[in-house]
Amino acid sequence: MSAPTLDRVGPKTGKDRRPAGVMIADGTLVVVVLAALLAPLLAPYAPDAIDLSASLVGTGPEHLLGTDSSGQDLLSRVLYGARTSLVAPILLLAIAAVLGVTLGTLAAWRGGWVDTVVSRLTDVMYAFPGLLFTVLIIAVFGAGMTTSVLALGLAYTPTVAKYTRSVALSERRKPYIDAYGVQGMGGARICARYLVPNLGRSIIGYLVVLFGEALMSLATLSYLGFGAQPPSSDWGLMVQEGQAAVVQGALLPALVPGFAIALVVVSFNVVGVWAADRLGSRR
Amino acid sequence: MTTALPQAAPLLAVDGLRKTYGLPGGGRLTAADGITFTVPAGGSLGIVGESGSGKTTVARMLVGLVRPDAGSISVSGRPRAPRTPRGREARLARAREIQMVFQDPYVSLDPRLTARQCLTTALRLHGRATTVADGLLDQVGLGAREAEARPHGLSGGQRQRLAIARALAVDPKVLVLDEAVAALDVSIQAQILQLLSEIRRDTGVALVFVSHDLAVVHHITDEVLVMRRGTVVEQGPTAEVLAGPQDPYTRLLLASVPRAGWDPADAVTARAATA
Repeated sequence: MSAPTLDRVGPKTGKDRRPAGVMIADGTLVVVVLAALLAPLLAPYAPDAIDLSASLVGTGPEHLLGTDSSGQDLLSRVLYGARTSLVAPILLLAIAAVLGVTLGTLAAWRGGWVDTVVSRLTDVMYAFPGLLFTVLIIAVFGAGMTTSVLALGLAYTPTVAKYTRSVALSERRKPYIDAYGVQGMGGARICARYLVPNLGRSIIGYLVVLFGEALMSLATLSYLGFGAQPPSSDWGLMVQEGQAAVVQGALLPALVPGFAIALVVVSFNVVGVWAADRLGSRR
Repeated sequence: MTTALPQAAPLLAVDGLRKTYGLPGGGRLTAADGITFTVPAGGSLGIVGESGSGKTTVARMLVGLVRPDAGSISVSGRPRAPRTPRGREARLARAREIQMVFQDPYVSLDPRLTARQCLTTALRLHGRATTVADGLLDQVGLGAREAEARPHGLSGGQRQRLAIARALAVDPKVLVLDEAVAALDVSIQAQILQLLSEIRRDTGVALVFVSHDLAVVHHITDEVLVMRRGTVVEQGPTAEVLAGPQDPYTRLLLASVPRAGWDPADAVTARAATA
């Protein structure tokens, strides 16, 4: 495969033919999603089954990917971990999408002072590192996955709002939107029924790109102890738990979840950038 | 084709319409000033002028997409509010006064809706039976295949037919066409113009036809208004204005129309005369 991942310049590349890298990334994501769905069938052990007699066992027929210091099977944990690691970013982005798309559309549609207020608010949030904002909220409301998802959802809202505002601004200038107004349709209905649905593809493409980042942020929070709590098999938490074993010479407990995170993040970015690129070239 | 129209009360009356835009340097651009005209029921008025003469601004003011700085627009004697009214009923009533067909049918139709959905959306909004859609499609010459097609599956001429049907779905008294055939091939233009003449004859809707194309205006309008740099330079029955233009700018526009034995140098000379 000589084609670079995001190269779509080749004249032979048909309209709907995906570059090899994108197909690999697609395949990876399908496998990861299946793994998460089928975890109870695939996992040889319960994710939280402790077996102190098998602490830090290397790869072998009993434990394909070895065990951690508590003797928990790493393969089982990483499979189950795919569930929280995939679902949590989806929830987080859903919150950011609902709030961000609403704010961004409102700003683009109303303009004037509404736009100024929304734009300034997003700028202020931008100037504030998202993770710091999240840690602040967690400091107030306590650690845990729910708080982390809610806090990061808020932290990602300005990014989505800003993006939505920019695409909504160019879309609302199109005469078909004017035509709805000339027909006598109210602004709220035009936005909800016709403007936002026409932005759907761009916004979803953007959210796919954000997914990898959101997964990383959540893993970071769990790693720092703010997110998922033991005995969860969240990947970020697993990396943190596996860290101590590194000193004892066992690399797998930290490497296995770390690799899983990297794999999913890279795959999402490849797919997201490719999708955004295609959308961009179509406009 | 000036059929002497009876002295009917004007359906559309526009008086002293003005719009200026602030320029980045601090000056103001007068897009339109002192625009005054009337159109009788079933009448047809052309607004001509070259690019930047302010004709599109006038069209957009008529439908309320641009708020005039001064002047008034009234339909059947009822003045239109300069802003879009808040209430749903008032908004719909206003929409039924004037509808518009936009210049570029490639961007004036919602890409997500099929032709039928495009019409039923407008019909439902105005509380009309969605079965009217079939009649409208038929009226503009779109068949069953086109009815289920989205805009990207339609040709330019078909899209503009759909845009006309969408405007008619509201059952307006006045139809404003902003360069409605400019984006189309000449042969398709003729079909659309024919269609508009038929619609005018059958429904009695009044047309305001904004165009840079004098041949088109000659074909479809009774009265014409020539605009230059935001002001009206000449106004009157189309045949008279085009046969004996009084203003040098109108002469320029006429001299610029390519025809047999046409010499571009004439147009250049005519432009020098207007400076």
